[in-house]
This record gives sequence, C-alpha cells and structure tokens, in this order.
Amino acid sequence: MSNDTLNLTLRIWRQENATSTGAFRDYKLAGVSTHMSFLEMLDVLNEQLITSGEEPVEFDHDCREGICGMCSLMINGKAHGPDNATTTCQLHMRRFNDGDTIVIEPWRATAFPVVRDLVVDRSAFDRIIGAGGYVSVNTGNAPDGNAIPVPSTTQETAMDAAACIGCGACVAACKNASAMLFVSAKVSQLAVLPQGKAERNERVLNMVAQMDKEGFGHCTNTSECEAACPAEVSVSNIARLNREYVRASLMSGG
Amino acid sequence: MVRVASETLNSRVPEGPVDEIWDKHRFNMKLVNPANKRKFTVIVVGTGLAGGAAAASLGELGYNVKAFCFQDSPRRAHSIAAQGGINAAKNYPNDGDSVWRLFYDTVKGGDYRAREANVYRLAQVSNNIIDQCTAQGVPFAREYGGTLSNRSFGGAQVSRTFYCRGQTGQQLLLGAYQAMMRQVHLGKVQMFARREMLELIKVDGVARGIVVRNLTTGKLETHTADAVVLCTGGYGNVYYLSTNAKGCNVTASWRCHKQGAFFANPCYTQIHPTCIPVSGDYQSKLTLMSESLRNDGRVWVPKDANDTRKPSDIPDEDRDYYLERRYPSFGNLVPRDVASRAAKERCDSGFGVSETGLAVYLDFRDAIKRDGEDTIRRKYGNLFHMYQKITAEDPYKVPMKIFPAVHYTMGGLWVDYHLMSNLPGLFVLGEANFSDHGANRLGASALMQGLSDGYFVIPYTIGDHLAKATLPKIPEDHPACVDAMQAAKLRIDQLMAVQGSRTVDSFHRELGLIMWDHCGMARTKSGLETAIGQIRDLREQFWQDVRVLGSGETLNQSLEKAGRVADFMEFGELMCVDALHREESCGGHFREEHQTAEGEAQRNDADFSYVAAWETHGVGEEPTLHKEPLSFPNVPPATRSYK
Amino acid sequence: MNAVYKILGLPAELLCKVPGIGPIVKVCCTSVGQKILMALTGLSLCGFLVAHLGGNLNLFAGKDAFNGYAEKLHSLGPLLAVAEVGLFATFLLHIGLAVSTTAMSRAARKNEYEKKATKQSGFILPNGGASNLMLVTGLIVFAYLVVHILDMKLNVRGFPGASEIPGEGDKFEHVRAVLLDFKTAVFYAVCMLALGIHLSHGVRSACQSLGISHPRWNKLISIGGVLFAWLIAAGFTSIVVWPWAVVPH
Repeated sequence: MSNDTLNLTLRIWRQENATSTGAFRDYKLAGVSTHMSFLEMLDVLNEQLITSGEEPVEFDHDCREGICGMCSLMINGKAHGPDNATTTCQLHMRRFNDGDTIVIEPWRATAFPVVRDLVVDRSAFDRIIGAGGYVSVNTGNAPDGNAIPVPSTTQETAMDAAACIGCGACVAACKNASAMLFVSAKVSQLAVLPQGKAERNERVLNMVAQMDKEGFGHCTNTSECEAACPAEVSVSNIARLNREYVRASLMSGG
Repeated sequence: MVRVASETLNSRVPEGPVDEIWDKHRFNMKLVNPANKRKFTVIVVGTGLAGGAAAASLGELGYNVKAFCFQDSPRRAHSIAAQGGINAAKNYPNDGDSVWRLFYDTVKGGDYRAREANVYRLAQVSNNIIDQCTAQGVPFAREYGGTLSNRSFGGAQVSRTFYCRGQTGQQLLLGAYQAMMRQVHLGKVQMFARREMLELIKVDGVARGIVVRNLTTGKLETHTADAVVLCTGGYGNVYYLSTNAKGCNVTASWRCHKQGAFFANPCYTQIHPTCIPVSGDYQSKLTLMSESLRNDGRVWVPKDANDTRKPSDIPDEDRDYYLERRYPSFGNLVPRDVASRAAKERCDSGFGVSETGLAVYLDFRDAIKRDGEDTIRRKYGNLFHMYQKITAEDPYKVPMKIFPAVHYTMGGLWVDYHLMSNLPGLFVLGEANFSDHGANRLGASALMQGLSDGYFVIPYTIGDHLAKATLPKIPEDHPACVDAMQAAKLRIDQLMAVQGSRTVDSFHRELGLIMWDHCGMARTKSGLETAIGQIRDLREQFWQDVRVLGSGETLNQSLEKAGRVADFMEFGELMCVDALHREESCGGHFREEHQTAEGEAQRNDADFSYVAAWETHGVGEEPTLHKEPLSFPNVPPATRSYK
Repeated sequence: MNAVYKILGLPAELLCKVPGIGPIVKVCCTSVGQKILMALTGLSLCGFLVAHLGGNLNLFAGKDAFNGYAEKLHSLGPLLAVAEVGLFATFLLHIGLAVSTTAMSRAARKNEYEKKATKQSGFILPNGGASNLMLVTGLIVFAYLVVHILDMKLNVRGFPGASEIPGEGDKFEHVRAVLLDFKTAVFYAVCMLALGIHLSHGVRSACQSLGISHPRWNKLISIGGVLFAWLIAAGFTSIVVWPWAVVPH
C-alpha cells in the first residue's frame, strides 16, 4: 500500500433547493490520502469549506459500508464511480490519479428531483414497493418456515435479486432513466419464491403501473444498469419481469 | 456519592413460572376491539427492524400509524447493515437446541444483567420470527433439499443462526419495510421520511406526540397521537468512530430522557472484535466484518513481538492463536466482549500487527485448505469483497487484519415488561431500549430482538395501554405542543447563533476520542473521572465555538449533525457516570480494578445485580439512580467461562 | 406537444374500454407493454425480411426464376394486398412505438449529465453499443423503405422494365436497372449497414423484452441475434452488389 497523496480539482454540482437552477463549482483539494474513501474525501472538502465560511456540499450517505443504498453520486459520468459492484462509499481514492479533475453530479432523472446539491428524492422507489413489492402476509399468519421447501437454487436466484440496495444507480446510469432493474429485482425475488407466487400477476402489473406513473423511462435493454449496479443485480431479472408481465396481462382477470 | 432513589422500579413482570408468563399475560392484557382500533393513532419513530415491524403490525391490526425516519427512505435504517444472521430456537439441525437453551445462552451471554422474563419471551417468539420472515419472502439460506439452513455463531454451542448470505439484516429489514409499505399503500400507515424527532410531547405525564424537523424544508412539525413508540436504535456514535451508520444518534432517546424517561445501563457498550482497523485520522467510520467469519477464520498474532515477516511466511509454531490457547472449548467462537478484550490485551502487550500495532490477524488459510476456496467464497464472498475494497488486500491470499470497534449498545431507555418506559404511553423497542441483552449481546440476537419487539410484543402490550388509559384529544395548539415546539425551535436557533470557528465534526471526533480512551474497552475510576471533566469542558466549548453555516430553513446536514452532537455531549457524561458507579466488570463493561488474576472480568453480583436507570435533573446536575433489582431463579449466575 | 400525444393516444384509450381486449390494450400502453409490442412487431418484420430476402435471392438464379417468383407472388392477388397492408401496419406500429417510447424517455430525464460514460466493458456494437443507434438506424431504414417503394413499386423515377399491368413487364430488368444506378446502389448499401446495426441490437433486445432469457441460452441468443442481423444485411447487400458483379447470360 502506498502512502501517496493526491491534488485534485473537484467539479461539483451546487443547487440551493429543488426549484433553483444549479451550476457547477470548481474546488481545489490538496493532500488527499489514497486510503480515504470517496466520501471521506468529500468530508475533508466540507471541513475546509466550513472553515473558510462556505456552506458545505450536501450529499446523501449513511451506513458507509455499501448496504443501505443512501449514497449516490455520478462520478465522472459513472454512477458510483469507476468500479463495478461498488457503492460510492466504498470507492477509495486510490482509484484516482494526482492532478485529476473529478466531475460530481447528482442522479439526474425526472422521477428523482434534486433536493439540494447532490441530494435527490428517491421516494418514487418507496411508492413502487408500496404498489406491490411484498407478500401480503399479516404478522402471525405464517406457517412453519420449513412447511414449504424451497430448493436452494431457487432461493439463490431470489437472493441474487433481493440483493438490490435501492440506491437508484440503475436509473441514474440508464440513458432513458428507466427503473426496470430496480422493479424487476423485486418482482423476480417474489416471483420465484413459492411464498410470492399467489400475487405474482397483480404485483407485476401494479408495480409497472406505478413505475410509469412516477415518470421513469422505458427499458432499451442496453444493460448499462447492470454494469452500474453495486449489488450486481442482473438484467436477467428484467427478462423475468417481462415474462411475468406477458403472463399477467394474458392471465389476470379483469 | 450517587443519589439513589429510595423505591425500586416496577418492571411489571407477572408472577409465575418463566415459561408460562407470556402466554398467561397475553390473556390477561386488555384488548382493543377491532372497531375501536381505528380511533387510535400511534407514532412510530424509526423504521429499522423494530420500527418497521411495529408500524406494519400495528397498521395491519387497524391502528392509524404515523411512521418517521431521518433517512430518505425507511428502507435505509441501519438494521440493514447487520450481516451474520438471526437466532431462533427451531432446533432444525437436531443438535440439542430448545427455547430454554436459547434463553439460557442469552442470559448467560448477557453476563446476568438482563431481565429473565424478557429474555424468555424473546426466545419463545424467536421461532415465529423465522416463520413470519420466510412467509414474507425473505430468502433465507436453504439446504439442497429445500429446508432452512443454519450456521453457528459466537457464544453458543448449537447451530441456530438463520442467514441470507452476509446480508441477513438487509433482507429482514426489507421484509419489514415491504410489509410496512403495504400498509402505507393501504392508507393505514403514513410515512414521514427525512424527519428528525426533536422533542417528545407530554400531556399530564403521558407521551402524546412528537415534534419533528422536516429535514428537507427545515419546518418544525407537531404530530400528536395516543402513544409514541421509539425505535431509534443505539448510541454507538457517541464514540464518533463506530460501526454504526453516520446518522445513528441518541437524540430521540435523549429528548425523551430529558422529559423524564429513565436511561438504563448506558455504560454497556459492545465492542465488536472483527472490524477493519483504522487507517488514518480522516476515518469517518469503522467497518464490521461479520462475526460469522470466526467460524472458519483463526485469530492470531506473532509469538515474537518483533517478528517482521509477512504473515504467510510465519510458520504455525511462531504463531500465537491466543483465543484457542486461552479458551480451548470455545476457541475462536468466544463471545464478542471476550474476543475483543483478548485482542486489546495482545495489542497492549505489543504483539499487535500492521503499522499502527492496533490489529490482529484473522486467517482463512486453514479453512481454504480444508474446504476449498469456492466454499469459503460462497459463505463469505461479499465480506471478502468488502474487505478487499477497503484495504486493497486479498483475504484469500493474505490474512485479514482486524481490530475491535464499537458496534452495539446494550443500554437504552428503561422499559418494563410491556416495553413501556416509566413515562406512560412511551414505548421503546429494539436497540433503543435496554431490556434483553444485559451487559453483553450475543451475535445474531439484535435482529431477533428488534423483530420480536416489533412483530410480536408491541401489538399486544400497546393495546393494554390504549384500552386502559384515558386519552383525550390533543389539539395541535395545546400548550404542551406549543412548549415542545418552542423548545425545539430555541435549540436550533441557539445552534445557528453560535457562529464559532470549529466544525461540528471536529467536536464530535474529540468527544469520541475521550469516550474511547476512558469509557471504551477498559475503564478505570480515574479515567472516567477525567473523562467527565473533559466532556464538560468540551461541551462548554462546543456551545461557544461551533460553526453551523447556512440556515435552518433548508436541507442542512451540518445543523442536523450539530443537534445530534450536542446531545451526545450531554449523553457521554451520563455514560461515564454510569460506568463510574458500576464497580464491577460485566459483559461490555470492563473495569480494570475488577479482574481476576488471569485478566478475566470479575462480576459483583452481591452489589450490582440490578439495572441502573438514571433520571436527569438537567445538564450538569447529578442524576438520580433508580434501581431495578434482578433475580435469576432459572439461570443461576455463574462465572461466565468459555474455557 | 401534450395535445398531440392526447390525440395520438385517443385510439388506444378508446380500445381500452372495449370489453375482453380492453385490459390487454391497457397493458400494451404501459412502458413494458410498449416494449413487448415493439419486440413483437420487430420480430414480425424480421420474419418479413427473411421471406423478402429469400424471394430476392432468386435474382441469382436468373431472370426466369426471379420473374417466376414475382409472378407467383402477384398471383396471390387480394392475399398479397392483405399481407402488404399488414406489413405496412406493423411498420407503422413499430415506428409509432419508437416515437412514443422515445418521448417517454426524453421526459424521464430533462436535464442531461455534464459528463456521461459507460461502465460496461467492451461497449461495442454487438455488446449494446448499437442500442444507442436504434433511432438513427431506424430512421435510415425508414428512409430506405420510402425510396425502395417509390422505385420498386411505384417506379416514380421511371426505370425500365416496370409495368402497371400485372403479369407484364420484366421485374428482373427493373431491379437491375434500379440497382445499376450508382447513387441508388450506394444509398442502398449504406441503408443495409444501418439495418445490420439496427437488427444486431434489435433481435437480442426483442428476446429480452419478451422475456426469452436463460443463463444457459443467453450467450446463444446474443450471438445468434448478431449473426442473424449481419446475415440479413449481408444477404441484401449481396443483391445490391450483384448487378455490378454479374452480367446475365
């Protein structure tokens, strides 16, 4: 491990609130340790900004271990930065070079309006889950966990899809700002498990309807979402959603 | 020197054999009939496992629920980061587990400082949790035949831990979140994200609402209800560096404490043995590597403190597998507090590895040789990936370096058997309460407790309160609401008005260092006294010199942090006071004055077998200690031995 | 613009109210439904391309073979007319869906990124790069279609060999004459390149949209799609090149 430090130029989107027009601002940051995480680098910047009397850059983050899905950031045109299977909070500065200019933007999608600076509103995802991303089982209604055997391969498939952290990188990276990877991950998880099968038709129809209502784009099958996804959710889930959708449109009543 | 209340606290644990109490009590508690449930409103603060589960379950029952979280989505609560698993006494592996054994292990693991009746109930409903989550579509690991799979975890000799790869917390939380979002969609739960609770509204001594700040607009909002359920997690971030999410804070609990709720056992903090060591002073948080790694990894340091060879070049005879040496029967699977202290002992004695000397090895060489890299990858792939991301080292080839870090806090607001605090109408669930883990929590038990409280306890106990209490309507302009609102506003104005020169984080770091040095893995009387003085000074400085820019009318993360740190500044002192008064070593609380000749913790059951619940009289004032005596008729206290 | 969409969407809205097929029409209006229709129409058009190419390859077999094939086709009479209308409708639907989905995605991101890059390794034509060119290549193919119909069917530029009366004239000569026009030939060749690109993403994408996906078969679908695309394109291009390379005897 090296103990190198970097001098960087950060080109960061600043926007006062949802209604104001934003603009880029350039900041010089010197002596950035390569062992820092990307967000720690922004922490250091913010400490300097506050000390110099400028309002710090607002950005969403929480767990800083790649699981909560709260951090975002378009870094040099790539959602969560240059690494695959990595969230911004797990990106480390050793991935950058001395003298680099780093462009940092918020997720951009009509369904994810900017709240301030790099913070966006992703509540559309919550509403999509609310529209059908669950198994309708009230507390206390469950049979024994082993009552329905689930082959481990099926469970693995479900888990692959369930790994989604809801960060919205798929939307951010997609040229159409489509939420298909997110929606399909939940549809897939619950469609392959026997517990979710009862509601599979209504689920896919309702979730897609809500997705459209929120103003996401359509899927062009470019697979850019898959490459951007920190949880490595596969586009095969999108195919499964489509399959479920065809099935549901033909089979569901009314 | 400590002011002690004359009356002991009433835990409201019903009489009777421990294994019958809950069943009988469920019958004895009052019910709210279905038609009346829709007349009651319940506030749930926090949407982690406890909060999400509670909001969903209460909504399903027909109550009107208002749920709050400070994150942008309820799915982000820090329960999501729990990796290893969730315990249940299913005994699927047929290896001798039972409700009684889970109960026994948890009481023992908690070093005999937990309330027996609560723990038994926890063990009892553990099985229902697994069933419930499975039905929700939580993809628990399965055997090839399709049955649920288990793994073993620290502090137990049976395999009772259910898991979803290394993302158990995530999957369980998403299960609860989805159940809650279903209720949101049905209109039974109203979700308020990006809201931070700043005050508790109390009318005639009963909790009736909260004041929150809308973090997007900066507006203060009043929400009234018939009961308030606090599910706001732990206070590990008082140390600045911890495995908690950056946003975790004590504010909601502390605001309730200042309204009269007792804070119990704040000194019980769990230091997790397997975290990635600190790499520099810019460090913003510590990353936990699941305890499950100790199933296959072996912990060691070089026998020679000056051994500079690469770890892979050090032969077995020059390695000190100190856990296996000191605790032959549990080996690498000793409980967390024991493993952490053992690591500290080695590092303090100069055997630590890495540049800082503050790390030990966790080595998978033998496991990879035994099971093959593929098997190890399947079990821990995501953890290894995470480790490599952070350290740029490949744990398949080089042993991991680990060091203990603050992880979980067993203390919390005092609650009775109903999970109600001493303030009627204020319920506290999950990590935010003190109830089930005593002085130390066993691995894979936090998820169990959060979900148990939320799914299977509060739905019963809240009904009893609502059915019995007289709860007149509270208008938003009620004097109590206005006062609470004003108090919240005043605090924000005060923070904005300081306009000093130091950032919030710099204060937080300094506080964290004080806490870690004097109220961390090992504590002494003089150290704690020093810490109390330092905290008071720092607090004074904070209010004179903190700099919060911007305004209170927009999203302002510095302001959010400032409010939280201000509360930590007050809370840290109470932690030290509690640690100072507890003249014994137990679980996560280790007083250097109280240890055996071999360096093991020495409990003092004669004098300290009680819950210490503190009542505040204002900042800087000496608090009053209320005691809840503990008795252990079913699991007689013994020296906790993992040898 | 919104008013235009409203009017355009009117037929679909009315259809939604028809019992029986209403729900199906409704789901066809969603983003996923549109993509499924897009895939179905696209694949039908692929079917047409195969048939058309198959027929046209008769050119290589000589004048009699080709004219015989043309004759047979025309003898179908009203059936051919129905097929042509169907084909035309499929084209229109495919194009209409393209317009509609594009409008949807434009609306989904109103502010573009300052900087945008891909995270896919090997983001080249067959690996998804073609997806960025669907609209452009689609438009080129559409332009081609117009020119092609004008020349081959309506013969507005008056190439020799065509005749208004079925059964008369010399189709074979007509095709040769059109293709021997240098500018036309170059235009055709460029358009076939566009068609190749369009299909290299289109076929695979259609399979994905229809949910035809399996870890074991995805590679095959992917390669098969690209192979199909370039076989079709190469087949048609060979016909463009043919009159220049071969003198009939």
